[in-house]
Amino acid sequence: MNISLKNISFSYSDSLDDAILKNLNLEIRSGECVVLAGESGCGKTTISKLINGLIPHYHSGTMDGDVLLGGKNTSDMTLAEISRVVGSVFQNPRSQFFNIDTDCELAFGCENLGMDPKEIKQRVENVVQEFYLEHLLGRSIFNLSGGEKQKIACASVSATGPEIFVLDEPSANLDLKTIADLKEIVSRWKRAGKTVVIVEHRLYYLRDVADRICYVKDGKIAEEWTPAELEAKGLEYATNLGLRCMNLEMLNVRDGVILSVVRQAHQPCKVPELVEGPQGSKEQDLAKQSIIFTNLTFSYHHKHPILDIDRLELPCGQITALIGHNGAGKSTLAQLLCGLQGSWRQKRAARKRGAYLIMQDVNHQLFTESVLDEVLLGMKPQNEKLALEILDGLNLKQYTENHPMALSGGQKQRVAVASGISSGCDVVVFDEPTSGLDYRQMLAVSATLKKLAASGKTLLVITHDPEFILNSCQSVIRMEQGKIVEQYPLSGNENHLIKTMVK
Amino acid sequence: MIFSAPLVYSLLMVVVASILLLLEGKWKFVCTFFFVYLTAGFFFDFVKNLDIGTSGTIILASLFLMYRIMPACAVLYYVITTTKVNEFLACMSRMHVSNKVTIPLIVMIRFFPTVYDESRAIGNAMRMRGIRLFSLRTLKSPVAFLEYRLVPLLVSVTKIGDELSIAAVTRGLSAETKRTCVATIGFRWVDAVVIAYCVAVVLFYVIPGLTGNLPSV
Repeated sequence: MNISLKNISFSYSDSLDDAILKNLNLEIRSGECVVLAGESGCGKTTISKLINGLIPHYHSGTMDGDVLLGGKNTSDMTLAEISRVVGSVFQNPRSQFFNIDTDCELAFGCENLGMDPKEIKQRVENVVQEFYLEHLLGRSIFNLSGGEKQKIACASVSATGPEIFVLDEPSANLDLKTIADLKEIVSRWKRAGKTVVIVEHRLYYLRDVADRICYVKDGKIAEEWTPAELEAKGLEYATNLGLRCMNLEMLNVRDGVILSVVRQAHQPCKVPELVEGPQGSKEQDLAKQSIIFTNLTFSYHHKHPILDIDRLELPCGQITALIGHNGAGKSTLAQLLCGLQGSWRQKRAARKRGAYLIMQDVNHQLFTESVLDEVLLGMKPQNEKLALEILDGLNLKQYTENHPMALSGGQKQRVAVASGISSGCDVVVFDEPTSGLDYRQMLAVSATLKKLAASGKTLLVITHDPEFILNSCQSVIRMEQGKIVEQYPLSGNENHLIKTMVK
Repeated sequence: MIFSAPLVYSLLMVVVASILLLLEGKWKFVCTFFFVYLTAGFFFDFVKNLDIGTSGTIILASLFLMYRIMPACAVLYYVITTTKVNEFLACMSRMHVSNKVTIPLIVMIRFFPTVYDESRAIGNAMRMRGIRLFSLRTLKSPVAFLEYRLVPLLVSVTKIGDELSIAAVTRGLSAETKRTCVATIGFRWVDAVVIAYCVAVVLFYVIPGLTGNLPSV
């Protein structure tokens, strides 16, 4: 089924003056796979909402122009009618399930369309086989990993057999291995002649699947390429547009050249303190020491330890990446280090050593009414001058009186970092700080982290983002099934890193 | 007998909920529940016959509240943890309840575990900052403690609520369409037994009460 967006203008407010989409035209042919890329806030998610009918039926705003699905105008259809032809998968695996167990979730869409129970059972059986979900049947969705949830989401949408699939940043919370599975799913849909629209920052996995990549800027389709065309334009071109890399192999088979391009592209964002002389030598001194954690074990049942690490060594004043597939125990390790999990003794030890966790959803850790209060809260004793210094260091000085919840995502994260610094912890742990960010935002986060490391903090970053690791980390720890499999300095091992991440 | 009649009768009802919960393997919950419930009930029985001052009345009131509300909470817990969304929807539509009533209810059922999840994450973040329930700071300003806990919870819960309803409407859940259901639901002899038992207990309690004298056990 083909999709056509004709002269679309849309604004979330009452007038079209501050429209997020401006006179946009887009034709997507039946059976095509189109990727919408672009920086955050450029309007690409709004386009996906136009296609799945959430605009104009769910979100209010001012709209001009027509969206036609196979010749039918979405504003004349109800959401229930649209859901028969368009299936949607969203970014956040946590909140896109309406049921609490996998079986019901798979049947949910079909049931809503009023299909015959016998046919529903048949359809569910089919998708279970197609997507290899046997081991996930009958599970509570609260016990699934992010990747497993995303698979169930895709399968349950697929069960109703829509003609069009709309995916909004489906890979944001996934590891590279699960992303490969996601790619498999998308290409399966494409082979079946379905139309697929994907809003995405990570482009590399769609290289062989996508027919077109549309670059959205300022509410318009600014550029259009085939994946091959974009790749041929080179890494620098893409990074200038704020796009993520097109080809991981390019980082992999780097020959020194490509990687140095990546590094060069990052230069302007590098924090000056890191490059200059005296600080650098201090950093080298620090690197020789390391912080050692011992006795990191954790289990819900005695027979199946989730985490079993005797000794963890973190080089001082450096950024260490913690990689491993979904469910390898990375988050549990982070919680243990910060004293949020584990036995009473482990918690007490953690309180003494003091590691501070910056959560993936920073909204959870912002409590107060102003940014300054947020920093003062964890301080003992409270020292306003020091707090202002910390905020200044993180470029937050002009926001000291603002409400933390009113800031942008990146600013919120920096406030959380500031509160971590003020609580006096030497080790700061980040849980996927760059998931769902475009290239520029990723660089900004990376700059914050580098600054933090330069000030003498030791950082451990849980991440699935190879570009981020290559850009900012100095060493890598890889975990598998609750154990540390290997730990190595990054320089010289870039090849190995990408290989193990993809595997 | 140490227990008064109302406690015995409510115990007879509570047993139903506990058996149901035990069948789901929630023995930990049942044990804690019984311990707190019986303690509250026993003390209530014990305290109400004594001559007590203001502080005693406050204790009495809170005990009363606990032991009257706890059984209802246990049943709610059972409903929320064991009812599948589709079964609930099918059952309500079989009872000819309008979707306009059912859908908000189902969103509520889906919402509780999520709120619990979020609240735990926020509690973790608070602990990292050294904000604890049992601390000098909380004692000094309990309102601030509540604020720290509630503000992020409200923010994330409204967001999740929005995302959940988006998930539901894009999958075709709406007030107009007629749903089908894969799960076979129906009224079986087990249901009849449970209902008969409950009705019997209520009647045994109410009928003597109507004639003017509560039964003595």
